[in-house]
Amino acid sequence: MTEHTQNPLDHPEVQLANGRAYLVGFIFSMLLMTAGLWLAVTHIMAPFGTVLVTSILAGMVVIIQGYFILHMDISHAQMWHTVAMVLFLPLFVVTIGLTAWMFHGLYQRTMIMPPATSSMAHMPPMSH
Amino acid sequence: MLVHLQGPWSPLLGRLTLQQIPYHVPILMVTFIVVAILAAVVLAAATYFGKWGYLWREWLTTVDHKKIGVMYILLGLIMLLRGFADALMIRTQQAMAVGPSSPGEMGAVHGYLTPFHLGQIFTAHGLIMVVFAATPLLVGLMNIIVPLQIGARDMAYPYLNALGLWLTTAGAALVMLSLFVGNFAHGGWYGFVPYFELPYSPGVGVDYWMWTFQLSAIGTSLGSINLIATIVKMRAPGMTWMRLPIFTWASLSTNLIALTSFPVLMVALALLGLDRYVGTHFYTAGMGGNLMLYNDLFWVWGHPEVYFLILPAFGIMSEIIPTFSEKTLFGSATLVLASFAIGGVSWGVWLHHFFTMAATPSVNSFYSVTTMLVGIPTGVKVFNWIFTMYRGRVRYELPMLWALLALFLLLVGGMTGMMNAFASNDYMWHNGLFVVAHFHLMVLTIAASIFGAVEYWFPKVFGFKLEQKWGTWFFWFMVIGSGITFVTMFFLGFGGMTRRLDYIPYTQWSPYLHIMLLGMVFYVVAVLFFVAHLYVSLRDRVKNRAGADVWGTGRSLEWATHSPVPAYNFAITPNVNARDEWTWRKENGLTELHPGDYEGIHMPKNTGVPLFLGILFMGLGFALIWRIWWLALLCVALIVALIIIRSFDRDTDMTIPAHAVEQVESGARDEMSATMPTAGVRGGTVIAHSIPQSGTGGISGSTTSTSPSWAPMDR
Amino acid sequence: MSASAAQKVDPAQATLWARHYAGHDMIGTRTFGFWLYMLTDAMVYAALFASLGVLSHAVNLAGGPSPSAFINPIYAYGETITLFLSVLIYGYSMVALKNGNRGAVIGSMFVAMLLGIVYLVIAGVDIGNMFAHGIFPQVSGFLSIFFTIIIYHALHILVGVVWMLVMMVQIAREGFSANVIYRLINLRLFWHFQAVIWVFVFTFVYLQGMVA
Repeated sequence: MTEHTQNPLDHPEVQLANGRAYLVGFIFSMLLMTAGLWLAVTHIMAPFGTVLVTSILAGMVVIIQGYFILHMDISHAQMWHTVAMVLFLPLFVVTIGLTAWMFHGLYQRTMIMPPATSSMAHMPPMSH
Repeated sequence: MLVHLQGPWSPLLGRLTLQQIPYHVPILMVTFIVVAILAAVVLAAATYFGKWGYLWREWLTTVDHKKIGVMYILLGLIMLLRGFADALMIRTQQAMAVGPSSPGEMGAVHGYLTPFHLGQIFTAHGLIMVVFAATPLLVGLMNIIVPLQIGARDMAYPYLNALGLWLTTAGAALVMLSLFVGNFAHGGWYGFVPYFELPYSPGVGVDYWMWTFQLSAIGTSLGSINLIATIVKMRAPGMTWMRLPIFTWASLSTNLIALTSFPVLMVALALLGLDRYVGTHFYTAGMGGNLMLYNDLFWVWGHPEVYFLILPAFGIMSEIIPTFSEKTLFGSATLVLASFAIGGVSWGVWLHHFFTMAATPSVNSFYSVTTMLVGIPTGVKVFNWIFTMYRGRVRYELPMLWALLALFLLLVGGMTGMMNAFASNDYMWHNGLFVVAHFHLMVLTIAASIFGAVEYWFPKVFGFKLEQKWGTWFFWFMVIGSGITFVTMFFLGFGGMTRRLDYIPYTQWSPYLHIMLLGMVFYVVAVLFFVAHLYVSLRDRVKNRAGADVWGTGRSLEWATHSPVPAYNFAITPNVNARDEWTWRKENGLTELHPGDYEGIHMPKNTGVPLFLGILFMGLGFALIWRIWWLALLCVALIVALIIIRSFDRDTDMTIPAHAVEQVESGARDEMSATMPTAGVRGGTVIAHSIPQSGTGGISGSTTSTSPSWAPMDR
Repeated sequence: MSASAAQKVDPAQATLWARHYAGHDMIGTRTFGFWLYMLTDAMVYAALFASLGVLSHAVNLAGGPSPSAFINPIYAYGETITLFLSVLIYGYSMVALKNGNRGAVIGSMFVAMLLGIVYLVIAGVDIGNMFAHGIFPQVSGFLSIFFTIIIYHALHILVGVVWMLVMMVQIAREGFSANVIYRLINLRLFWHFQAVIWVFVFTFVYLQGMVA
């Protein structure tokens, strides 16, 4: 597929700039991040609950940002960008997730101090 | 100072002092003298024959993917030799230092290498072989072949391509420098914490290891982006995904692995660097550090890395075997799927490198299972290659011999790998020679494929075939050497010998170690045969001139252009009609390679900026190693400035005029006859002289080259 | 060869050579390559967050301060506001590019750059405060990873600010050439990606640190 347009401004990746989408992304991100901050500052939930809810909020914000701000869709101009991102996402999960699993078990086997104050303490107990 | 440094430090020279130059180590002094003499000879010869202009114009400032690939391969071969020298020293030390009554020379209690020295040798051997020999050789091959196979004129980022080359070269240069100024790390090529932390490795060795590793990692990362973007975006018209040649598919899966895994290596090393330079506590013993974190991060890279090395090797085998069986590759769709399956699964197995590090049994079992899963797609590949040969018209020319050797080595290496996949087995033989023999078989598979690829594609790139006789001797001596050395190593592994020993207390292992040394003798003779192979090939290059379809049975697009390949690859971009396009054209009588009616061709210009950036990065590496802060800051500033200045350069492309294309095309002969008249140059191939363009001077380069200029000796 | 996987082409009517081939899409290729680079950067962050998870055990505090003791939510929120605003305004700069409006592009980019500088000032004050209270990366394993993540992110903002400055000069100098345009798109990818990364940094380092 070749796009040898005379005026580079006509390139589809230039043309997909969308002020309304950026504003929607901005407002949504600000709202949810403010909500997360409020949760953390007021300590209204137990630490585990705050961690869970803020993580979910972060996930939602990132998906909205991905669509509205980064234009991650399956249009012709952006298809390969989206494919590349979809390739990487499971690897992020694998890197962080398998590492967490590894070390959680390791800590249960080797750490003398009870993990009372760390975020890792609040993972559901593993059965092995 | 943020960290407590042992030894002197001055603001001007950092930790660099005269004591860091090993005057008292005879081996190093002799090495230095030999290297200095060789360097002086090369430089003098270049000056005497007036070649500096040629070298600058055609090689040092080039952005042509073929020449960059050739330089990568050259770098890889030189570093392979250096790594081999290290291996020779390890083998001789271990053969000598067996038993309490073994003699000690040159300051060593047993053998001739002190533990301090041997530690550097096996660390350098590992790092060089993985990162500075195998990687550049494979990256070089991919660089040369992939654009040709997809019908493109160059890579997506020619300038970045050159930068990757010079960064890797900078890293290699620093590794070589560590021989003569300072020392190298002593703890094994993949690092150990907290041994590699400052309190236990207070010298500059680990810093050399760390920064050279990072430099090459940056180079390879940039290269992976380049190759993926090229394959995705620059295929010729008609080259759909289903028609992509198998080596290009292999390159794509390999570079996806590199793209995704190298960042984690950079983090692993950077955190160690922070520990050593800033005094943080990522991996320290105490103060909240976690030793296993290093292993975790490193091997997240380390495992995909070895698949990064083997997948192109599989791709090479998939190209050579069909060509020399005159048959379509059996099940190429499953081979492609297998490549991606291997790449995908390889991302979930990394803990098998540290099974014994106290992870829970469920974690260990999970990783055992995923490790074994990798064997399935690999098995698919092996069967597909065998079925390709079945009922084909098999010709045992040199590339095919190497590919078949690779196949045999893969079987042994792969099956011993499956044995290693069981965590319970690992608990018995972790850190033993069984694992070492396994992975050496795997890298020998890679090496065999590389030698096969060199034999296979050298004529395409340089225009003449390599000769057969010395090449065959080289092949067989490599086979014998590998067999003797590494089969014996498996037995030593079963016997319980561990790795990285400078002194072996058990004399019953002595016969094995001596047999391994005998295997090394075969390797040494093989190297000599290789040199003869190259020399005789060069000497007889007119006799062995190659046409476009060098082997007669080539199948993909790179055989549809002249040998040597002109700078622009294809005079007119081909339109692709089938998988195995060249075979399809031959079957339908459409083999005309002079389509006529040529147009001007738009190509990137040469530039010296990547070379200068490589030099600056080498300076930065050196400054960081020796903690010469003013030099480090200066290099960073210059690097940033150079990158920004280069971005303002608007004169980065040129057009090869149609008449120049016509001239090159009419001179290009595609037949194999040795008696064709040359363009008036003794022993030469087609030479279209450089057409100087009036361009800007300075760093962007002011000349262009349209010529293939592959005739090595006659310009 | 069975071209069954690909469409069979009649050899008598096959096109062998793509004459007048316009070449590949340079802008699309370069932005794709840059996006791949951004994804590798995201992988660096993934590795850093994995390390954060590992080094968040009580043992990793090494007796030093825990994040709930010293994280200042105001500075973190200030950084959030400035960064998201800067991302929005850079977005408007790209809309102006779509319309070919050179002045508006440079103007909004300038504002986005200023907001980036404000971010850096806030981050500098925040980190300076921590240092003033003896909270250094050398104190414990946890603090090592804490500071590494936030400083690594701040470095990205610095790079973005410098890049915007360079682009403003280039636009003024050569207008909207193909090279300038692909660089502007790359900068958009870079800058907007920082908003995504910041969501993770804010959530997992600051917010969850506050309740640890």
